[in-house]
Amino acid sequence: MDLNKLSFSFLFSVLLISPAGAFPLQEKPGEEKKQLSLYAADNEKNCLVCHSKLVYTITDTVSGVTMKRMMSEQNVINPDIFYNSVHWSFNCLDCHAEGFKSFPHPLEARFEIGWNCLDCHGNDPNYAQYKFEEIDAEYHRSIHYTATEGMFTCWDCHNAHYYNPLARQDSSSRDQIFKSNEMCLRCHGNRDIMGMISDKGLDKVLPKHEWLPNVERHLEAVRCIDCHTRMTDSVLVAHEIVPADSAVKNCTDCHNKNSILMGTLYKYVSKENRDEKGFVNGVIFNNDSYVIGANHSKFITLTGKIVIGMTLAFALVHIIFRMIIKPIKRYNE
Amino acid sequence: MSKNFYHYPVWVRLWHVMNAILCLFLIVTGFSMLYSNPDNGLVVGFKRAVSIHNVSGILLTVSYTLFLFGNLFTANGKHYLVAMKGTGKRLWQQGYYYVYGYFKGQKAPYPVDGEHKFNPLQQVSYVGVMYLILPMLFITGWAMMFPEFILKKFLRFSGIFLTDQFHVILGFLVVIFLFIHLYVSTMGKSALSNFRSIITGWQESH
Repeated sequence: MDLNKLSFSFLFSVLLISPAGAFPLQEKPGEEKKQLSLYAADNEKNCLVCHSKLVYTITDTVSGVTMKRMMSEQNVINPDIFYNSVHWSFNCLDCHAEGFKSFPHPLEARFEIGWNCLDCHGNDPNYAQYKFEEIDAEYHRSIHYTATEGMFTCWDCHNAHYYNPLARQDSSSRDQIFKSNEMCLRCHGNRDIMGMISDKGLDKVLPKHEWLPNVERHLEAVRCIDCHTRMTDSVLVAHEIVPADSAVKNCTDCHNKNSILMGTLYKYVSKENRDEKGFVNGVIFNNDSYVIGANHSKFITLTGKIVIGMTLAFALVHIIFRMIIKPIKRYNE
Repeated sequence: MSKNFYHYPVWVRLWHVMNAILCLFLIVTGFSMLYSNPDNGLVVGFKRAVSIHNVSGILLTVSYTLFLFGNLFTANGKHYLVAMKGTGKRLWQQGYYYVYGYFKGQKAPYPVDGEHKFNPLQQVSYVGVMYLILPMLFITGWAMMFPEFILKKFLRFSGIFLTDQFHVILGFLVVIFLFIHLYVSTMGKSALSNFRSIITGWQESH
């Protein structure tokens, strides 16, 4: 977090910024074209004239010296992605401090208290379906909140400039898993970042998964949060990250029995298969949602075996008596 | 002197053979799905078992629908109408006959005649299987193919898990029914007479 502030300080200490080396704003057909034209017409969004670049040119108005500088990567916004995000219609200053309107950006602006999701979406019936309040409650119970004394915010995982819930629906489950895990690995897969965030020592904060059978396959096919959160049935994506020693380590929690995750995955894969390949190919002949061992309940299968065994035993005893009685019957007749 | 009664018209025999074949496929593949593991695919292997199970289940739904229509619009339906009055007594008499009277050489309490092709125990068990267990198997089986209609959670259980386990329990009941059905079929006039009946259509009284 301190690093973030440092990079902000550097960025906003420049005297004058002029466009150079911006993200290429390519012409796209249809809706994208409309969005790009809006970008050009919107003066307030001229922040992106500089903040869409990896390289910018600064000029000292007193000495006239001009030089090129690299923009800190986290302060660069890709307009193409931003204008396809859910927050695309907002002006920069709707969320950022008014002070950023002027150049150079004043020191006070850098002390802005950033909005979080609840500030806009909390207790709003229009967003009730997303259950932001429950997500917030889960976050406050999560290790991310309790272990960082609230330093951790929504934006450390979610990018407000790029957030797009529809992308989740449109992409394949593999892509979704990759994107979800990318969010965690941005910090947890980076020894440098974790080393700076925590003073517990890398061996305690970096993920360890050697105990998992088929580690690579698991990490490709399972989201980190599937094991590292406390799952509930009410929130779509669980946000209560649990301490590492409370994470799921029991195979049958996912691969067997009464698991909500199992049910949710079954439904998702089944529907995805059907939508992609149709009912015949996706459900009848190539039903990937049904995994081996999924319905194996020891109690029910054992009870079934016992009852079937007793039925056969009864039939066997009956047939033995019939064989004994048959000659007697014949004799009597 | 035994009499013969034409109790199994062509459509019943065709339906019965289709029903039997599909049920066998479903039971074998069902067990394969339940007990196979990556190293041991049992009879057909897990993946193939799922496909065969799905196809057989769909075909059985079709054949069951034909059976329902047949029972609605032909005289065969009357054999599945259970007279509630005195049912307990009739079931007891038939059960007593199977476990005791049969060996004592007593006469069957409810022999086959022109009006009755099932004895009370057969009638109640067939009605239970055809009008209760099979429809529930179809509902749970189709639900597993359209799982978005299944409740996410019921009480403290996953809806998918409950539906799946219910389907398995019903499957076990059908297996038990099949064994009893096959065994009781050997208790006709001779051990094979009832099997001949379902092929020729003519049932022999005993």
